[in-house]
Amino acid sequence: MTFRAKGLMAASLAAIVVASAAVAAHHPISAKFDDKKPMTLSGIVTLVDWRNPHVHIFMNVRDAKGTLNWAVEIESPIELQQSGWNAETLKPGDAITVQGMAARNGSRQIWGNTVALTTGSKRLFALTPMAPVAPLAARPSPRWPDKQPRLGPLPGGVQGYWGFPTSTVLAEANVPMDAYGLLRNVADAPKVAPMQPWALALYTERQKRFLQDDPTYINCKPPGGVRQFQISYGVQLVEDRERQRVFVLIGGGNNNFRIIYLDGRGHVGQVGGDDDNPLYYGRSVGKWEGDSLVVDTRGFNEDFWFTNGGVPHTEQLKLVERFTRTDFDTLKYEVTVEDPGAFTRPWSGGWNLRWVAGQELPRHLCQDNRP
Amino acid sequence: MRVLVGIVALSLAVFAGAVRPAAQEGHPLKGSWIGTWGPAKSHSNDMVLILNWDGKSISGTLNPGVDDVAIKNATLNPEGWVFRFEADVKEKAGTTLNYVVEGKIENLAFPNRTVSGTWKNQRESGKFKIGRQ
Repeated sequence: MTFRAKGLMAASLAAIVVASAAVAAHHPISAKFDDKKPMTLSGIVTLVDWRNPHVHIFMNVRDAKGTLNWAVEIESPIELQQSGWNAETLKPGDAITVQGMAARNGSRQIWGNTVALTTGSKRLFALTPMAPVAPLAARPSPRWPDKQPRLGPLPGGVQGYWGFPTSTVLAEANVPMDAYGLLRNVADAPKVAPMQPWALALYTERQKRFLQDDPTYINCKPPGGVRQFQISYGVQLVEDRERQRVFVLIGGGNNNFRIIYLDGRGHVGQVGGDDDNPLYYGRSVGKWEGDSLVVDTRGFNEDFWFTNGGVPHTEQLKLVERFTRTDFDTLKYEVTVEDPGAFTRPWSGGWNLRWVAGQELPRHLCQDNRP
Repeated sequence: MRVLVGIVALSLAVFAGAVRPAAQEGHPLKGSWIGTWGPAKSHSNDMVLILNWDGKSISGTLNPGVDDVAIKNATLNPEGWVFRFEADVKEKAGTTLNYVVEGKIENLAFPNRTVSGTWKNQRESGKFKIGRQ
């Protein structure tokens, strides 16, 4: 086996196993790997570490100096399973070739864009599933008997959840950035949100560090704020009309859930004993305005990033979210952000989520604070 | 002996857990800071600083307790992350010493970030270093 840190070589391989596309990865690849350093490795699998957030394949690679063990990081078990992989797809002893990008820190790690068997019979795996194809004609939103839109499935209908957001970043201007909120040009930082000087400087610092300090990924912090509607694996909105509340089940949130109260209560003291305790998901109260559920959330703590990309916030953060099921398959999400501790004025943004019919909400657990 | 080793190990584990700084992703100065100040490393005093940010100004208390002192004129310059504040400390003799403290935030991205720099009053000056708890 040889180690070749150059170009694309996989076209000549006898059999191909395709790993999923980078766009769906659980957390910012760019925090750890450099897309300006393409790399191809060939070697023998020594171990497959099938755990969240990303699966690692360890492989022995031989070059002129000897044999070295490399770590190949690929997608999460959820995404790989959706693409036809399982923990047994690769076994120790398999000969593989990996195309990807090298680690920024020069360590023996590579992000695998593709993993190909170099020997054996032809085995093809599908790419990571894309968003469900929109029906030719929009179906009307399902409704309760009182005509209020339903946020979940039809009674007795197939299950589903909301996922595949049309945008995974929150910015008040159209600023070029990747799916994780990493700016293409850091000089665009002031256009993202009307940040106070300290917040802009902190945001810029996070950007310059390629978002590697994101507490949601390095410390398994819950995806509070708008982030639960940005991260992989979607959300399920479960309406408990008898108890006047909506549960937001979060696929990428370590089995977390958020409660939106519709019974007219205030923001304080919803749970006994935590009146003064700021929370990752804050305290949400909502009401229906026509076909939109309008949710006012306050009482956030400062232990997390409330949106992809690391725009800072303080405990004064207030979010007003509007959920509108514009048709059966589309949930329009709009949010206005207020935080006089971090911003100079309110600002807003939003995106659409797609109905993923017939599937259970994926459950992703952050595991052992692994990178 | 084995019991003693176990107790020591457990104590260290508990201590290690207790001193782990809480996450703080908001204003980088907000929170509790502990460290030392003095003319020299061999002659230094403990220093506790509680800081808050209300969206417009930084407020705080130096060495909270019986003789606590409110800080004033606190500023943070994000360009270089320079933190500056003053504190008027009343001596037993009745005189008031005006402390001017200036330091720089280091390891900004981490919960256990530090501020180190210098202080001075009408009589003397020295260095300080505090770490976020």
